[in-house]
Amino acid sequence: MKTLMIVFALTAVAIPGIPVEAHHSGAMFDDKKEVTLTGVVKAFQYTNPHSWLLVDVKGPDGKVTTWGFEAEGPSTLTRAGIRISDFTPGTPITITGHPMRDGRPAATWIKATRTTDKKEFVPQAGFAIR
Amino acid sequence: MTTRKAVLRVGVLLVAVAALAAVVISMVSAQNAPAWIAQDENWAASKQKLQAFGERFETSEALYEALKQGAGGGKPLTWQQMAEPAYDWSGIYTRAKGGLHFDPDLRPGSGPDSAKLTPAGQQVVKAKADQIARTGGEYDPISDCRPPGTPRWFTEPFLHEFIVTPAQTWLINEMVNDVRRVYTDGRDHTPAADAYPTWNGDTIGFWDGETLVAHTRYLSSGQYQRGVQPNYSDKTTVVERWHKIDPKALQADVWVFDPINLEKPWYTRQGWTRLTNDDRQLRIRYWDCRENPNNSIITTESGTSQFPDFDFVPNDGDVSTDAAVKKAGKK
Repeated sequence: MKTLMIVFALTAVAIPGIPVEAHHSGAMFDDKKEVTLTGVVKAFQYTNPHSWLLVDVKGPDGKVTTWGFEAEGPSTLTRAGIRISDFTPGTPITITGHPMRDGRPAATWIKATRTTDKKEFVPQAGFAIR
Repeated sequence: MTTRKAVLRVGVLLVAVAALAAVVISMVSAQNAPAWIAQDENWAASKQKLQAFGERFETSEALYEALKQGAGGGKPLTWQQMAEPAYDWSGIYTRAKGGLHFDPDLRPGSGPDSAKLTPAGQQVVKAKADQIARTGGEYDPISDCRPPGTPRWFTEPFLHEFIVTPAQTWLINEMVNDVRRVYTDGRDHTPAADAYPTWNGDTIGFWDGETLVAHTRYLSSGQYQRGVQPNYSDKTTVVERWHKIDPKALQADVWVFDPINLEKPWYTRQGWTRLTNDDRQLRIRYWDCRENPNNSIITTESGTSQFPDFDFVPNDGDVSTDAAVKKAGKK
């Protein structure tokens, strides 16, 4: 699949940290770094207290690694306009997050862009009051 | 008149005077109870007035009784009143402002908080600041989905529902399916001999016109929120005044009393905004950490938090640089 092309950019850019974690400290994530990856959705675990978007990402060596992106639970995602049906398995996306400090393939979900229609999905938008 | 009769008369007179004084003092206190104050451009001064009002009382029980006397004992609601806008609290709400601060008037990320802490309370806050400065994080006890408890309940930023009935009002927090029940049927607290501490304690209340006044005791100890915020002890008691201020907003005056951590009662004005839900897709869903194994959290040796074992990582212990993961997550 062409959309399996990987864009992997790990930068040490300072980014304003936003406390997003519903039920745990965010100590395990490095809020001063961002990782941006392109891959395909493996699963969307739409659960409380946190949802996880699992994304299969192919590396330069052709090896596929599953990354997990943590977001808030269903109510915040619903308020952000993010539904289960937006990320069915196989959906090609580019996603940005704050990576874990310990080297495992996981991050907080800052923004995901669907490749097909360029639509952006930002979980934190779910905290806007309207 | 015999000396004995004279002493008896004087004694009776003194008792009567003392009783009258108690009634007058309580009436004065009650009369001085500030009515509901709108959160307008004079809020800073109004907040000081409400803080000072709370500080006039040694205990939350005395504050609650003063408010009750000011309300003439309160008036029970009827089912017919449930349709009136003042008592129709239906809808889905979220915290209006404040981030995770217990005092919503503080800017998110700012500090220190506005509580007047005892030395013991200050020590707790300092220890938390030191922990975060040293390790960059902390372990939140609710990471295993135990209830946030009250007064932390006020700070949780997710969905809420509020249900008023004549005999009870239910204050619902989406987080861990949490419900606080305010009994307004005239009952008293559970007798002390039969009580034990729980996350949300035991809450009784009455209606002062369109304002719900509540008193809570028998609370478990906890923290107001993550970050550099105080703890509260199991001696904590709380007085609340709830009011619907417009079709989209509920607010509550909250006075927290805690002889262990607070020098003075801590007054805050808490608020919730009703969310639009035109497509009716927004709803409260069950909240359980065991629903998804990726939400499991452990504490590390440095007192911070960590995911022990992702289901999408085949070899957490080999990949992670964290000793806690190597210990807990190795398959």
